[in-house]
Amino acid sequence: MRRILIVDDEPHVVRVLKLALERAGYVVDQAGDGKEALDYLQRSEPDVLITDIDMPRMTGRELCTHIDKELPDRLFQIFILTSRAEVEHREWSRVIPNVSFLEKPVSIRNLVARLDEHFAKVPISQA
Amino acid sequence: MRTGKLSAVWRNERLGLMMIAASLAVIMLTVGLLFSYQQKADEAHIREQGVSLARVLSRMPFAQLLPAAGQQGVLSLLQYGQADPAFAYLLIVDPHGTALNEVSSPGVIAPGVPLSANPTSWLGERTLRLSSDGRAVQEFHAPLFDQGQLAGYLRLAYFKPGFGLDADQVPFFATLALPIFLLTPLFYFLVRREIRPLQTVNSQIDQLLEKGNWHRVEVGATGELRDFMDRFNHFIELARNRIDALEADRADLETSAKVLSYQRSRIESVVQSIPDAIMILDESGAVGLANARLATLLGVDPNRVIGQKPNEWCDNPEVVAFLAGCGSASTPGYRSDSVEFSPAEAPEKRIAVSAYPLFSPRDMSQILGNLVVFRDITAEMLARRSSGEFVAHVAHELKSPLNVIAMYSESLQGEDGQSEAFRIEAANVVHDEVERLSMLINNILSITKIEMGSISIERHRVKLRDLLEDTFNAVSRGGRGDDLKFIIDLPREMSPVAVDKDLMRIAINNLLTNAIKYNRPGGTVSLVAQETGGKVRICIRDTGVGIAAEDQERIFQKFFRSEQEEVRAKAGHGLGLSLVREIVHLHHGALSVSSTPGEGSEFTIEFDKETELLKQAV
Repeated sequence: MRRILIVDDEPHVVRVLKLALERAGYVVDQAGDGKEALDYLQRSEPDVLITDIDMPRMTGRELCTHIDKELPDRLFQIFILTSRAEVEHREWSRVIPNVSFLEKPVSIRNLVARLDEHFAKVPISQA
Repeated sequence: MRTGKLSAVWRNERLGLMMIAASLAVIMLTVGLLFSYQQKADEAHIREQGVSLARVLSRMPFAQLLPAAGQQGVLSLLQYGQADPAFAYLLIVDPHGTALNEVSSPGVIAPGVPLSANPTSWLGERTLRLSSDGRAVQEFHAPLFDQGQLAGYLRLAYFKPGFGLDADQVPFFATLALPIFLLTPLFYFLVRREIRPLQTVNSQIDQLLEKGNWHRVEVGATGELRDFMDRFNHFIELARNRIDALEADRADLETSAKVLSYQRSRIESVVQSIPDAIMILDESGAVGLANARLATLLGVDPNRVIGQKPNEWCDNPEVVAFLAGCGSASTPGYRSDSVEFSPAEAPEKRIAVSAYPLFSPRDMSQILGNLVVFRDITAEMLARRSSGEFVAHVAHELKSPLNVIAMYSESLQGEDGQSEAFRIEAANVVHDEVERLSMLINNILSITKIEMGSISIERHRVKLRDLLEDTFNAVSRGGRGDDLKFIIDLPREMSPVAVDKDLMRIAINNLLTNAIKYNRPGGTVSLVAQETGGKVRICIRDTGVGIAAEDQERIFQKFFRSEQEEVRAKAGHGLGLSLVREIVHLHHGALSVSSTPGEGSEFTIEFDKETELLKQAV
């Protein structure tokens, strides 16, 4: 079972995504901000992390930096929902591995397709 | 000093003196020659007379020469008949030298010098000296024969003519000398008379030269001197005219030089005052001119830089490359004509360098150099950046609600759309987001318009009470219903004020929305209005999260949202309060805030009533 962690402070976004992804057959957990996400990651790793960028207290970027520092051996892919895909992609892809960008407004179909694509390439991780 | 005087006299009078000396010399020479001639003539005359008389007498019979007693001899007759002043004596001597008969001039004693016995010298002449006074006499002697035998000698002597004047010759010489002597001064004075004008002229010319004041030289002269003077004066006049013309030209040149200098210094002051830094590069790229602003803009001393090439005074390689490319070799217009950089010593500044080729006014294809302008575009850059940032912000803010709407609408299209509950939920969410979106867009538009200055407030006399009440009601109705209490407190009568109805509504609305948003459950939102004297005061109070002290200044900045958790937990884009502030400013009002974190905040708008405004305007 593929586990996905959604990190976003917009409850509506989380709600819709969760519905859609669960319908697509994924297990979805959520975190309201970066701190919650990190706490979660201490306990277990998801297969994919989807996060927004503009969040209070800790931005998505800061979250990724923390993850990179604290979990250098992470296997999971990070998807970032951003409204500035181009610029961020160029900067980040050199710095932090295993990061993809999705531009807002996010098409759910698109997101699901990307996830399926990703999981097709990666073998099922150990539970 | 005597020598001085003497030499001066010599200098001034030397002509005259020389003439006198010359004439004297001539006289003396003539006289001398005359005397010598006279003497020779006299001598010859005496000789002639003497010789012939001696001969004649020697032929006479001896007896006749010796008179008998009582008879006058021939000799006496001769003596008296002769009356020749040169006659000295006539002597008849016997062969032994004894005098037989003598006739002589008074006071003369014939010297008793014997004659030689040699017959060849019986007839001849000789010079003797009288023993009495030493005078020289020329004696002519001849033998006397009586019946064929030497009876004696005849000695006839005349005084030798001397080199000197006879008394009766003096008038002759005087007559000769006098004209000569008189003519000399005459000539001298004539010459002097001729020369005198020249001297006058000389001294006047000296004056001319000394004073440098060129004028006609007047002199009473005649003949060639007059002609000369006329020509000279004519020349002086021409010279004078020429000098006057030159002086006038010089004055003109001076004036025009002054004018040029004034124009130049005016242009220079313009160049120096231009707010941009200006530099003129010649064809080789060296600096010809630099204005003072160069120092403030780039920290480069404009005086030091003259004559230097770009790489000598500029640190920035990009600028150096750009300026180096400004040379006349490169084709104008085919390369970028401006470049931007930030100086190393002031990285927050941004400077644009532009180069404009300077075309020769006579030949448009020839480039004399380049005009380089350094402009401080820091402000422009910041404006660009901030507007860029603003747009990015706006786009970002717009995308978030759009995102939610997109996702919900997509879900509606899918299976979730089948569920009634989901549909209702989706409808509500979409509705809220749309509202949020519209408010955002309106706020952005308003703020931009106000900042651009394209909003002018339209003041109308408005019943403020009604406006406040309506806005309050509209907001409280749509309030999120977190058991908030809504309190409104307005005076029963409020004087009409001249405000822009729409803008004021937006401002009150924004403040009330905030009061609701950042409130606690069970809290209060109140709107209170007061009129004091000439002012109207509107207070909007909430019992919400409050604003931290350090944030209170910044809350009115565009897009600012506090870092506080409770604030961040609510959706918002940070434009509401900045819009309120702009609107209040437009109404010449004052906006203030007081807040205690954890307890609540109070926003106060204060502005003058209409009458006060009018008074102020007047």
